[in-house]
Parts: sequence; C-alpha cells; structure tokens
Amino acid sequence: MEPIIRLESVSTIYEGERRPAIRDVNLTLDQNELVYVVGPNAAGKTTLLETINGLLPIFKGRVLVFGLDMQTRGKDVRREIGYVPQDFMVEPGEPYAALDVVLMGRYGKIGVLRRPDKEDLEKATEAMRLMDVDDLANRPMGKLSGGQQQKVMIARALAKEPRILLLDEPFSNLDPDSRERIPTLISRVHEERKMTTIIVTHDIHQMLSLCSRVVVMNSGRIVADENPEKALAILERASGSRPWEVAP
Amino acid sequence: MIWLELAIIQRALVGCLLAGFLTGLIGVFVVRMRLSAIGYSMSHGAFAGAALGVAVSVNPLFTAMSFSAATALLIGPVADKARLHADTVTSIAFPLNMALVFIFLTLSPQIGLSSEVASVLWGSVISMTNNDMVYLTTLCAAALALIHFFWKELFAIMYDRKMAEADGINTKPFVYFIIFLVGLVVTLSLKLVGGLLIFALLFNPASSALQFLHDMKKIVIVSPAIGSVTCVSGLMLSLVLDLPIGSCIVLVSTFIFALSVLLSPKRKRKEVKQ
Repeated sequence: MEPIIRLESVSTIYEGERRPAIRDVNLTLDQNELVYVVGPNAAGKTTLLETINGLLPIFKGRVLVFGLDMQTRGKDVRREIGYVPQDFMVEPGEPYAALDVVLMGRYGKIGVLRRPDKEDLEKATEAMRLMDVDDLANRPMGKLSGGQQQKVMIARALAKEPRILLLDEPFSNLDPDSRERIPTLISRVHEERKMTTIIVTHDIHQMLSLCSRVVVMNSGRIVADENPEKALAILERASGSRPWEVAP
Repeated sequence: MIWLELAIIQRALVGCLLAGFLTGLIGVFVVRMRLSAIGYSMSHGAFAGAALGVAVSVNPLFTAMSFSAATALLIGPVADKARLHADTVTSIAFPLNMALVFIFLTLSPQIGLSSEVASVLWGSVISMTNNDMVYLTTLCAAALALIHFFWKELFAIMYDRKMAEADGINTKPFVYFIIFLVGLVVTLSLKLVGGLLIFALLFNPASSALQFLHDMKKIVIVSPAIGSVTCVSGLMLSLVLDLPIGSCIVLVSTFIFALSVLLSPKRKRKEVKQ
C-alpha cells in the first residue's frame, strides 16, 4: 500500500542561507501512524513539517503525500492537511473572532466562490467544543490568552477534518490541566478519524505511550527513527534529557 | 459662470466621495496584508506615469495606468519569479519612480508648473471630468463585486497569509489582485489628491478604523466611510482656505487618525476592579 507521506532524500534550504535546514531526509509514514519528532533547537523539526506541508520549496529530493508531489500538487493536497504552527500568537487588537479563525480551516475545502454553509459552521463549532473553547467563539483572538489561542488553532486544524495532522509544539502554551487532557484527546481523534499525525515537541515524555514512532532530529538530519520502547531506551541512556546526542 | 463653478464643485464632490470610498476600502487590504510599502511604491509609479503624460502631452490617465500596471507586475509576479523580496523591489521602485517624475517634469520646461502639472503633484478640484466620474464609479462597482466574491479568501489572507496557504488557498492570485487594484485606485484618484499625497489615503482611513473596531467585516464598511468623509472635508477645507486639495485631504485624514488613536478603546488600560 502506498504510504501517506514519503520523503526521499529531501533537503530544504532557506533563502539567503548556505546550509540546508534539513538535509537528505528520508521518512515514510503510513495511514494512522502517530509520530513524534523531537530534537534540540534548530534541529530542523519545524522545517520538516513545513516541507511536508509544501510551504517551503525543496532544494533536493522529493516529497510525496498521498502519492502526489507536493512541489506541484501542494495546493490541492493541503486541503487534507491540518496544520498548527509554532508561532500563532496575534496582536492584542486583532479584529478576528475565534470562530472566524476556526472556520478558516475549512476555506480550502469549501473552494473558491463558495461561502461556508451551516455544515461548515457546525464542524467549526464542534471542533471548538472539543477543545473546550466554544464559549470563546465570539471573542476577538487578540483578547485570548496564549493557551486559549493555541486551542483555537488546534480547533482550526481539526475543523478541517484532515487526513493528515501536523502539530508544531501544540501544547507549549497550555495550562497543566489542558496539557494532560488535550494530548489524549488528539490521540483519540487521531484513532477515530484514522489520521496520520506528526507532533513536533520538546517534551519527549508527554504522550510518548500514545505514539507509534519517535523520530529524533539533530542538525537537520534524522538521527534516529524508533518505536516508543527503543526511544525510551535511548532516553534512559541519555539520562532522559538529550537523546539526540546518544542516538545511534 | 455660477453654474459652471457649481458643476465643477459637484464633480469634485462626487469624485471625493468615490475616491475616498475606494482608497478607504482598498486601504484595509493594504494595511492588513502589510502591503504598505507596495502601496507607497504604486502611488509613486502612477505619479511617474502621469508626469510622463504631462511631459509628452498624452492623457496622463493612460500613462499613469501603464506605469501602475508595470509597477504592479514588477512588485508582484516578477519579484516572485526572480525570488526577490517585495521590500527589496519596492525600495528600488520607489526612488526610481521619483527620479523619473523629476526627469519627465524637467524635460518639459515649457509646461512649468501649469495647472496640469499641479494637479498631478498635489491634486486639483477642477481637474475632474465626467469621464473620471464614470471610471471611478465603474471601478467602485467592480472592486465591490470582486471583494464580495473573494471575501472568504481575502479574509483568511488578511489574518495570516501562511496559514491561508496551509489551508489550501492559493494566495498569490489574490495578493496580485489587490496589488493591481491598488494601482487602478491610485491612478484614478491621482488627479484629485495628487501623486505626492495619495498614499496617505490608502493608510489613514483603514488605520483609523482599526483603532476602534474588533470585527474585520465592520472595518471594511467603516474605513471607506472614513475615506469619503475625509475627502469631502478636505475638499471643503480646500475651497474655504484656497489651499491645494491634496494637502487639505491629508491634513484632515491625519487629524482623524490622531483623534482615533487618542480615543481608541483598544489603547485604554483596563481599570482594575477593587
């Protein structure tokens, strides 16, 4: 069966930079896999997500999602990808209500010249309810706390009903209660919808039992791609703090 | 004679309403999409074109339109194709256009500071013709219709272009559309406000509306209204004080912006309840 995501010797270089942000990355993800990507700062984790999403032009190699080349078919494929970026904070005066932002997640699917209908509104409201932010629907985004904005962004990605979910540090601003609840909830939605999910995180312990694989990155390369048990072993060898330094 | 003057003022009044409405409307997209430098460059592109028209005795509207289109192409698709940042291109296009303005005006010393040159520089009440009214009305209708049809995409791009792209919206055509619309609006409003000051009308009404409102849909309605009020008030001030209309419009719009900053509820500190 064709993998959902396949990266073949992919290198991505930012404009004006000499060193690729990720280099010779090979990665394959099948349907319903939930993969963690961990690594230190500037390891290339965010670049990996944006490369898969086709938001960055690749320098070398090929990115195939659903068997389609993201460099040429990215615009169509992105309608099936829910993405939560690392930087999502908006200015205090931002004139957008939270519900507007969640509804935007469906715009690509709706298509040009069509307006969101009742069903779209229901999907957006349901995603907000799932993230426990439905009571904030009419509040301006700029007036929400960092954690609330993060939940709204996750709701935006889920409202799309994506087949692939790419989350970049999605729990970083959440309060302790939500940090416990949201990862389990995402794992449940992932299972129910048979999605393929990649979560970039610094906190390797969180939700480790829920994922099927852990990809360890360092200096733009994948240095380990293991199941959770082996990843835990690597963690233990590295005293649980810097697994990328002892990865095989 | 009185009827003639009345007709001129009537045309200027309608021109002000339409130009203010258009610049206020398109200004929301310019400000929210962070295209301010582009708006600035486009206005001076149109200005250079109009100066060329004056110098070679061709209708300045057509030359201004050509220069606007060329600048829009340069800032939009050409910059993307050449993988140049829009800021780089606008930083080069702005002084180039200003240099061309001075060259074109210097090369035609017989014209000097005639009324035509003056209208291109800082706007003129008497320069508006019936044809200009028709162009402005048509552009108003076309801009409103297109914004209505593509509101969903523009709304998302104004929030965050990268996220709109991530949601599967092809953002480039919409950004190019706004850049070209800026060119058209600037060109058709140039005669009234003048090339040196037109960009103020692109930013001030939208920035003033943003000080008060938390709803983008309301901002898109209020900003054109502020633009129209600004232009009409500027026209009145110009007639009363016998000053250039462009300068008066900019004075009024700056005053409205300053007032909106002072009164902005968004800037007021929350009172701590005891």
